[in-house]
Amino acid sequence: MASPSSFWSIASRQAMNSGLFLTKLYCFLHVTTNYLGFMAYAYGPSMTPTLHPSGSVLLAERISKRYQKPSRGDIVVIRSPENPNKTPIKRVIGVEGDCISFVADPVKSDKSQTIVVPKGHVFVQGDYTHNSRDSRTFGPVPYGLIQGRVLWRVWPFQDFGPLGPTPS
Amino acid sequence: MRTRVLSFLNQWRGTAKEAFENVSIVAKFLCLLHVTDRYIISSTHVQGPSMLPTLNLTGDVILAEHLSHRFGKIGLGDVVLVRSPRDPNRMVTKRILGLEGDRLTFSADPLVGDCSVSVVIPKGHVWIQGDNLYASTDSRHFGPIPYSLIEGKALLRVWPPEYFGSLR
Repeated sequence: MASPSSFWSIASRQAMNSGLFLTKLYCFLHVTTNYLGFMAYAYGPSMTPTLHPSGSVLLAERISKRYQKPSRGDIVVIRSPENPNKTPIKRVIGVEGDCISFVADPVKSDKSQTIVVPKGHVFVQGDYTHNSRDSRTFGPVPYGLIQGRVLWRVWPFQDFGPLGPTPS
Repeated sequence: MRTRVLSFLNQWRGTAKEAFENVSIVAKFLCLLHVTDRYIISSTHVQGPSMLPTLNLTGDVILAEHLSHRFGKIGLGDVVLVRSPRDPNRMVTKRILGLEGDRLTFSADPLVGDCSVSVVIPKGHVWIQGDNLYASTDSRHFGPIPYSLIEGKALLRVWPPEYFGSLR
């Protein structure tokens, strides 16, 4: 004979077990995405032809930024210095100490500027310089804003494969 | 002979299972501790002359919370923990003296003279400054820092005990 109280006790125990399982799963996912790697959805024209403007899913890793500085040619996910809620994906063109010459706005003029990247910063630029908001606009970005380095393109499947240091 | 080996293995299986359960309890506890420390509240040891007289030279332990900066609730006058723009492995403690859009006038070098510089803080950035103007490397040297470099807001000081209480 099943009494109502035992039904509730079983139900609450089930709920607690599921809750614990979800907490453990969330914990595991959190540790993985914060310390190992995470998936990023990239859209927008600024990294054409490397990344298609209609969107790609990329795999980014967080391990290398702990042990070494980013190197030239890496595609990185950064937290935008203009808006902390945005995480643009750009390529590292220069590291600290480099002297970079760039054309700030190729659509408007051909005038080029030269800067030296200060210590602790990197200069990032989108591959499609005509339509990219990057370090030419907001200046070199401190290392602390780099979220991860993009390793692999997961989707669309016909482009599945590694993303390397040179624009493809 | 075979039964002895089997019973030996069975004994070890029981011990291994118990060891695994205990290790997983410890792992779950560490996980919880880590999440609390990183995302909710943590204690930090701060030292150095740049925040005198608010923080002592020889070192204080302060409680810092990591929630406000995610919701944009960092305001003028808050003592915050930020990742240094010059060295991403260092965390510095400074006070926020300007938010985006503010116009700030400061003395470029308080030891040398009254030469003052006026600056407008760009969008997405804040101005940090140590309370001890003569011995602090802050936004007067490296410029306004992006908001995303803020990692925590100091709540109160817990050590040394005679200075227990809020920071003012």
